[in-house]
Amino acid sequence: MIIQCSTMITDRRDLSATVDTDVHQALPDLLPFLPRQWRDQWHSTGLGTSTGYTNPRGVQRRDARPPSGGPAASDPLFLISDHLDRYQIDYAVLTGPFVLPLGTDPDYLNAIAAAVNDATVTDWLSVSDRFRGSILINSDDPPAAAREIRRLGSRHDMVQVLMASTTRQPCGQRPYRLIYEAAAEHDLPIALHPGAEGAGLAAPPTPVGWPSRYLEWHNILPLTAMAQLNSLVCEGIFVAFPTLRVVITEGGLSWLPHLMWRMDKNYKALRDTAPWLTRLPSDYVKDHVRLTTQPVEEPDQPEYLEQVLIMMDAGRTVMFSSDYPHWDNDNPRVLFRRLDAQLRARIMGGTAAELYGLDHPPRPESLPPFETIRSRNATRPSVEHE
Amino acid sequence: VTAHRVASLAEVPVSGALMVSVNDLEIGLFRVADQILAWRNHCPHMAAPVCRGLVTGTRLPSAVYCYELGLEGRVLQCPWHGWEFDLLTGAHLAGGSSARLRGYPVEVRGDDVFIHTRV
Repeated sequence: MIIQCSTMITDRRDLSATVDTDVHQALPDLLPFLPRQWRDQWHSTGLGTSTGYTNPRGVQRRDARPPSGGPAASDPLFLISDHLDRYQIDYAVLTGPFVLPLGTDPDYLNAIAAAVNDATVTDWLSVSDRFRGSILINSDDPPAAAREIRRLGSRHDMVQVLMASTTRQPCGQRPYRLIYEAAAEHDLPIALHPGAEGAGLAAPPTPVGWPSRYLEWHNILPLTAMAQLNSLVCEGIFVAFPTLRVVITEGGLSWLPHLMWRMDKNYKALRDTAPWLTRLPSDYVKDHVRLTTQPVEEPDQPEYLEQVLIMMDAGRTVMFSSDYPHWDNDNPRVLFRRLDAQLRARIMGGTAAELYGLDHPPRPESLPPFETIRSRNATRPSVEHE
Repeated sequence: VTAHRVASLAEVPVSGALMVSVNDLEIGLFRVADQILAWRNHCPHMAAPVCRGLVTGTRLPSAVYCYELGLEGRVLQCPWHGWEFDLLTGAHLAGGSSARLRGYPVEVRGDDVFIHTRV
């Protein structure tokens, strides 16, 4: 069901689009989308693993639960009114209830990925043209992941491929090229999202082992993003796939200048060890990599962050994200208020609109009296992103 | 300063907030022991509806690896990022932070609760 537009609502299409690049829709009941052979396992174990790190506050914002019941962000209409309309967001790029951890049974994880994608199409993308989807993949099985990308990659409303930031090897290495090949074939960016750091068969969340508590685990999540970006650039992924774009979601921002400077310095001395690199590593980053804002760093002096944004050429590399409805979400009304208006417009939607091909923001819906699109009994609590 | 009658004393719950509004200002009324307190429903961090958070206790500042619960019923936990505020003072319970809730003087006259605001 696509909700009809209202002519009574101000047409904002002459303004820059605002695009939220990380919105976690809940999918409380995947059973109807899973093949029968996997339903019992999903019903009894879900993903079957977690990081072991628990936020004592809970991950979901308690004020984001729909009045109709169900978990936060489980009702598309409520999400539109509670988040998109409240903050005048034109598009939400949906990133789902979880990314897939490294597990033991690739067939099961592949089935879950497909079920998440089908549920997203059926329950969300059919509701509003303001939603765009992410094709969740099990990156640990690259041939299957490539098949899943090709299964859905031609849909106009699927705008990126989503995989866990954690992989069995650095994600620039050869096994994963099948994934990038399929994504490039459909002109889909690859989004890396944290949440599975330390889960299942993953390496410890830090190179020195296991932090003691959620606070420490969450503090250090950008390590994964740094390691993966380093690998993608140095392995020549952007040379092999010159149209490929990578989105580093929810990995922070301020480390990027440091890493680019360090890569550039070493490239100048050791270029011949990766002779396929013919430009500064930072040039590949600026051309091919986009970072999402949330959870944005909050230095005591806001101008420090503004300087970082300049250092990383944020007008090209940074895209707004809220992480709704998660505990550490950012409020778009509060973000970057002091920033140059043009740069802010690029961050809040210009860059994302280019990346995802969101040229003509649809008008806000005229919502009917609040009611749930579909009411299913949740049979299994979702494992969540961080 | 204007006094606004916003509730009867019995309407203020033992735990949690009674949400009232004065003009366009959203305010949460809280009861801590025998005191009534009024805080703006606006977290100083990210402008979240802080008064919709949990009223709870917390782990008090302690020696390393020591855990001591306290302030039960006196801590408001923001529903977004979990920032903890002392309901009696409005102070953010994190050493080094100067953030605090914005509050309003409360007056109880008989069974009526009044808030004093500048609007």
